[in-house]
Amino acid sequence: MTEKTNSTITKNTIITFFKERPWAQYILFGVLLSSIAFLPQIGVMRNSTMSIFALIIIYTIAAFGLNLLLGFSALISLATAGFIGGGALGIGIFLNMGLPFEVAVLLVILSGIVIGAFIGILSLKSQGIYLAITTLFVQEILRQIYTSVGIFGGERIDIGTITILGGIELNRFNFAHRSIIFLILIAVMVIIMIIFRNLIKSRSGRAFMAMSRSKSAAAAMGVNIMKYRVYAFIIATVFAMLAGVLYAMYYQSAPTRAWTLDLSLLLLAMVVAGGFKSVFGMFLGAFVVYGIPTLFLEDIFGDVSEIFAGLLIILVVLFYPQGLIHSGPDIKKGFKKIVGLFRKKEVTQDE
Amino acid sequence: MDNVVRILFNSLQTGAVYALAALGIVLIFRAGKVTNFAQGMIGTFNAYVAAVFFRWLGWSIWAAVPIALVTAFITGVVIDKIFIRPAQNSKPMHKQIITLGIIMILTGIIPFIFGVDPIRLGRFFPTGGVDILGTTLRFNTMFTVALSVALMGAIFWFIQYTRWGLAIRVTASNKVTSQLMGVPTNTVTMMAWATAAMLGALAGIIIAPQSSVNPTFMLDVQVSAFFAAVFGGLQTFFGPVFAAFIIALARNSAMFYLSDIWGNAIVYILILLFLYFKPYGLFGEAPVEKV
Repeated sequence: MTEKTNSTITKNTIITFFKERPWAQYILFGVLLSSIAFLPQIGVMRNSTMSIFALIIIYTIAAFGLNLLLGFSALISLATAGFIGGGALGIGIFLNMGLPFEVAVLLVILSGIVIGAFIGILSLKSQGIYLAITTLFVQEILRQIYTSVGIFGGERIDIGTITILGGIELNRFNFAHRSIIFLILIAVMVIIMIIFRNLIKSRSGRAFMAMSRSKSAAAAMGVNIMKYRVYAFIIATVFAMLAGVLYAMYYQSAPTRAWTLDLSLLLLAMVVAGGFKSVFGMFLGAFVVYGIPTLFLEDIFGDVSEIFAGLLIILVVLFYPQGLIHSGPDIKKGFKKIVGLFRKKEVTQDE
Repeated sequence: MDNVVRILFNSLQTGAVYALAALGIVLIFRAGKVTNFAQGMIGTFNAYVAAVFFRWLGWSIWAAVPIALVTAFITGVVIDKIFIRPAQNSKPMHKQIITLGIIMILTGIIPFIFGVDPIRLGRFFPTGGVDILGTTLRFNTMFTVALSVALMGAIFWFIQYTRWGLAIRVTASNKVTSQLMGVPTNTVTMMAWATAAMLGALAGIIIAPQSSVNPTFMLDVQVSAFFAAVFGGLQTFFGPVFAAFIIALARNSAMFYLSDIWGNAIVYILILLFLYFKPYGLFGEAPVEKV
């Protein structure tokens, strides 16, 4: 009896510990996710499956930026794919110029700040669909630049082995190295989760929320609309470019033609399906929109996976307009129902 | 001189295509507050239907096109019934994501029905033309431009002067109030989707002979139609059509006189600058914001 109460007490302390400290949740999540890095090593999982998870993490990071725009500031951007491409191609160019990795990342982040500020200022006057198409112009211009400018080099930029922290060489063709890169991706994602959470709970986060409800009301309350709009776009752009850097790091080459409107729309779907204003929702969204079709549907349905992915997105939007992250209570209810059914059966069998 | 004339003729045709697609986008946007990302894909799907009847069954293009328009009508109605109406109380953002889902579904269906190889679609008038100022104006160009302009004229007349047009306009201006006044807004939205699908299909059929019918051949039309819709201003039906011709002309001239690679980008940057000063387009006005 006492043992039982003791265990419930420790269980409760653990739960309250994690409930009170969101950063601990994120770190726990990261630790759980990093188990995937070891599965290919012991031969349980294919390396290609790990690559899919890597892409999910990369999309999650870009989705955080989009979530800040869409969920918190009610600004819509269709240029996310262009920024991810900018990060990937940018780091490729800087590395091929012979710069150290860390300097290259800093330069990419700096250029992200400049581009984000530019788009933020450009967007000051428009709202909704007009803003979306304004960013679509940016996306198309970026795409044109990537595919036509000589320094981006035709089909792709090959990066090859990268050297971080002055001496550690990582090559994706070495499977152990690939797992290490995967761990780095997870670490960056956890750090971004913590940054994101702190950001939205800060003064700026409240300003974004006020802005999203009504621009005029927020301005009347003393929120500097211009400052926070530019701010939101800068953060979103930097996150997307970081995602691009991680893409280049994991795949060690950056394609020039992959950054199209389709990818931007896919990221939009991830944010909406996962859940606005939520942290874990971004990972869930990326997992549902990109992961489930590539991991499961393709094996089961083969060529029709795209149809199912489309249906999945539509169903999620129809039944969970707040995002899948809010499906928790329903799943619990359904689970209890199923358990209840089994219990009833047992009872009848006993009779 | 003949260059100028040639650019003008080309722009008339591409402008007509963009205008058809843009008008479809505006119709749906006004009638249902949906930004339809799937306009190009719906057009592609039905252009495939025309191409199949034309190429595989050997029908005349004059018979294949009406069939494609009928299937387009059906596509529009089905999409509205199955996907859009259940979501009519959702936020505009969610409806956009639904149209994205529609793109994925159609992309998945196309290889099943039509195979993976691109199909060539013929012109209405394969040969023949008139010499004007040293440039040949094809009968086909003449016909497609005339058809598009006549069709759009008919739609404008319909919206402006008929009972149903009035229903469309009041639905566009305020859906709830028009419902209270007895306007069958659901039917209006459904007709908007059907008409838009037909316009998209026609745009696809007109532009298809320049390349071939494949899953991505209308991407450029889709993007340009969006640009035209915003550049012209979504509050009017006329603005986007006008803007579509301007964009086509500007792009063709920029590509010819400035740079064939950067022509597009230059025009886009110019429009971006324009939108900075007039964010709601050529003919649009800033909506009054209530707190």
